[in-house]
Amino acid sequence: MKKRIKSLSTKIVFLIALISLLSILVIFNVFEKINKKAFYAVETEKADLVLSTIEPLIALNIYLDMNDKIESTMQKLIENPNILAVKVLKNGNVIDEIRSKDYEINISESFTVEKAIFQPNSKNEIGTLVLVYSAKNYKELVQRYTILLIEIFIGFTIFYLFFSLYVKYLLSPLKIIANSLRNYSPNKEVTIPFIQANNEIGLISETLINMQKRILQYAKKQENINHYLEEKVSEKTLELRKQLYTNSLTGLPNRLSLLHDINGFHDGALLIINIDDFKEINDLFGQIAGDRILISFARALDNIFAKEDDITLMHLSGDEFALFFMKKPLLDDFIHIAKKLIDDVEGMIFNYESNELSIRITIGGAFQLEEALEKADIALKSAKKQKKSFLLYDEKLNVEKQYKENIEWIKKLNKAIEENKIVPYFQPIFDTVSNKIVSSECLIRLIDNENNVISPYQFLTIAKRSKLYSKLTRIMIKKSCEYFEHIDCDFSVNLSVEDIMDEETIRFIKESIKKYDVSKKIVFEILETEGIENYQEVSSFIDEMKAIGCRIAIDDFGSGYSNFEYLLRLNIDYIKIDGSLIKNLDTDTNAQMIVETIVDFAKKLKVLTVAEYVHNEAVNQKVKELKIDRTQGFLLGEPKEQLTL
Amino acid sequence: MKKIILLYLTLVSLAFGYSYDDVLLKAQASIFPKIILLDKKIENKLVEGKIVYTIVYDKNDYYTALDISKYIEEKYHGHLGQYEYTVNLVEFSKLSDATEASAFYVLNLDKYTDKIAEMAKERGVISFSYDINNLNQGIMFSLVIEKSTVIYLEKETLFTQKIDFVDALLQIVKFTDKNTALNKIKNDSRLERDQWYAKIIAYKNHNKS
Repeated sequence: MKKRIKSLSTKIVFLIALISLLSILVIFNVFEKINKKAFYAVETEKADLVLSTIEPLIALNIYLDMNDKIESTMQKLIENPNILAVKVLKNGNVIDEIRSKDYEINISESFTVEKAIFQPNSKNEIGTLVLVYSAKNYKELVQRYTILLIEIFIGFTIFYLFFSLYVKYLLSPLKIIANSLRNYSPNKEVTIPFIQANNEIGLISETLINMQKRILQYAKKQENINHYLEEKVSEKTLELRKQLYTNSLTGLPNRLSLLHDINGFHDGALLIINIDDFKEINDLFGQIAGDRILISFARALDNIFAKEDDITLMHLSGDEFALFFMKKPLLDDFIHIAKKLIDDVEGMIFNYESNELSIRITIGGAFQLEEALEKADIALKSAKKQKKSFLLYDEKLNVEKQYKENIEWIKKLNKAIEENKIVPYFQPIFDTVSNKIVSSECLIRLIDNENNVISPYQFLTIAKRSKLYSKLTRIMIKKSCEYFEHIDCDFSVNLSVEDIMDEETIRFIKESIKKYDVSKKIVFEILETEGIENYQEVSSFIDEMKAIGCRIAIDDFGSGYSNFEYLLRLNIDYIKIDGSLIKNLDTDTNAQMIVETIVDFAKKLKVLTVAEYVHNEAVNQKVKELKIDRTQGFLLGEPKEQLTL
Repeated sequence: MKKIILLYLTLVSLAFGYSYDDVLLKAQASIFPKIILLDKKIENKLVEGKIVYTIVYDKNDYYTALDISKYIEEKYHGHLGQYEYTVNLVEFSKLSDATEASAFYVLNLDKYTDKIAEMAKERGVISFSYDINNLNQGIMFSLVIEKSTVIYLEKETLFTQKIDFVDALLQIVKFTDKNTALNKIKNDSRLERDQWYAKIIAYKNHNKS
């Protein structure tokens, strides 16, 4: 759309017109408000002056009762063409009145002036003098003045017209110059007119020509620079593109390149190769050694598949490589390639300094292109988990669903922590002799949105994986300590080896015990298996806790190898016999034998025994028969929100 | 018979005494006291706070003077404007320097009018005369009835006495000059007066018949 030009000359002319109009309006206004009044005042004053002149004579004549003289005086006045009538009033009555012959004609355009008549040489009012004065003069003055204003207005209009034409003429070169510059471009030289004009227009033209020359020079320079920069940018773009799609260490196409390729093909297959325990190589021999092995490994793989045009080797990340099949091979060939590769790699030796290193790999495969990377990755992880060298992605693995569930659980856990819905439930532990509650186990529960109480078996494993576990432990420690602060009863809290290894958690436990003063009441339950596997850490934790008066229980004792020697050294207070031994205790003679041995051993060590999972009376009786010190289970008391002593 | 008696009486009065114009007397009695108030310095001429209007007459004119006095009393009831006044009747032979006057009014005197004029001049007061001829002797004002009532003012006397009158007064009076048209005025006024008389007599006769 063409931009509408707002002419400068039009603006100037318009402005002058506006000022002129305003001036005329002001003049008219002044005329209306001041001059008309002034004209009227002049006429009034004239009439008043006439009255003032004759008033003493009239006054004297009235005073001297010379009424005939009054009339003769008034008669003289009436000779004035502006005076239409004169009246003398005494006590409100007209004592004399004279009218001019034009009275009837001009009475409509007249005004009346009155003056009091005073007794000569006194202030006594003896009558009123009334003068009817013609407004003819006034009307004439106004008319003359109006004509004058119209003349001024016409004069202004003519002046304005000529002035506007002149301004237009003066500024017209600017418009011509602007038109000549309309199609200007830095590469095109235009002819600018009025260069010879000896005024501001000429100066503008000259300046524009100089400017045009400079711009032309500058544009040429700029063009060269741009050309150079474009070349550089292309080079750099190629370089960056290469970097973007290439692994900097091995020079192989990277993950992004793989994703790009997957999107670019309709059919194919993928193998993801992971070097097992590569972290250990890094840890043992250092990062440089790791990198060298990765490079050697990449070369080896490249050599193997160099002749395969339909297979692309890629380096996805640190210890992860991929083989992208651009054409889908037969399934058997695909599996064969994977397995052969595993065998080949096992036979490879990598030298670093004086060391000969061999590596093993795990391969996950996806025999379809749709979501190939994710599927091969799932297959790889499943293979690792199942400790297999190769696994092909199978829908039956149901790994995806599991992943989704895990994600949902993590969300639920986070929400529960945020909304304070992680709570301890308390299950009583009874003394088998006195049948009284002597202790209580604090069990973690999650309250969901529908107020369902969720047991830890559903979320604890996920919590451990998602690093929320330590938070849950701290919540349990805090809430349990807080609950038992003023309750005279022992209570036990489960601790995992992850908790014991976490310095922050240990510090928090200590602070809570101190804060709520529960060191003499609290019992930490540690899994037998974890205690043996991480003996050193668990042992020092036990020593530390016992030093401040806490007690330790070994949980699920009998589920593992039950190394009594270790137990002896751990200086524990309670043994909680594994539920699998207790639940069939009344009928399973093997279980009875094992439990009897444990109890016997514990008594010798002066360690108290606790039977879990006591779910019926028969089991309960057997527990008592076997002299187990304490008993716990659904028969005696389910875990509840509140403990009833 | 009545006409004969009336004619007789008229002739007798013309033979033995001066005949005053009653209308003129009343006009003068009405206007002259007012003229006193047109003097801007009347305050200086009061006698014990009063205006003293002194009528000087010949002993034959006592009753005329008395009539004038009564007429003034009837018209002004003791007050001229804001001032009280007294009409002082003085026979010429008894006129002396002790005679009080804020203004003199002179009835017809054959002689000595100039003496009164001199006295008025000395005192700086206004002098009025029944007869316009007396302006010749230095009296300041007189009044005649012509087509209308005309006040005459003797110009020289005004200059010599320097009485400060209300300006308008000087516009309505007619000035006389001892050396100019006084005789004409006198003749004219007499003519008019005679015509007046004739009219009055004719009117009265008409009423009686």
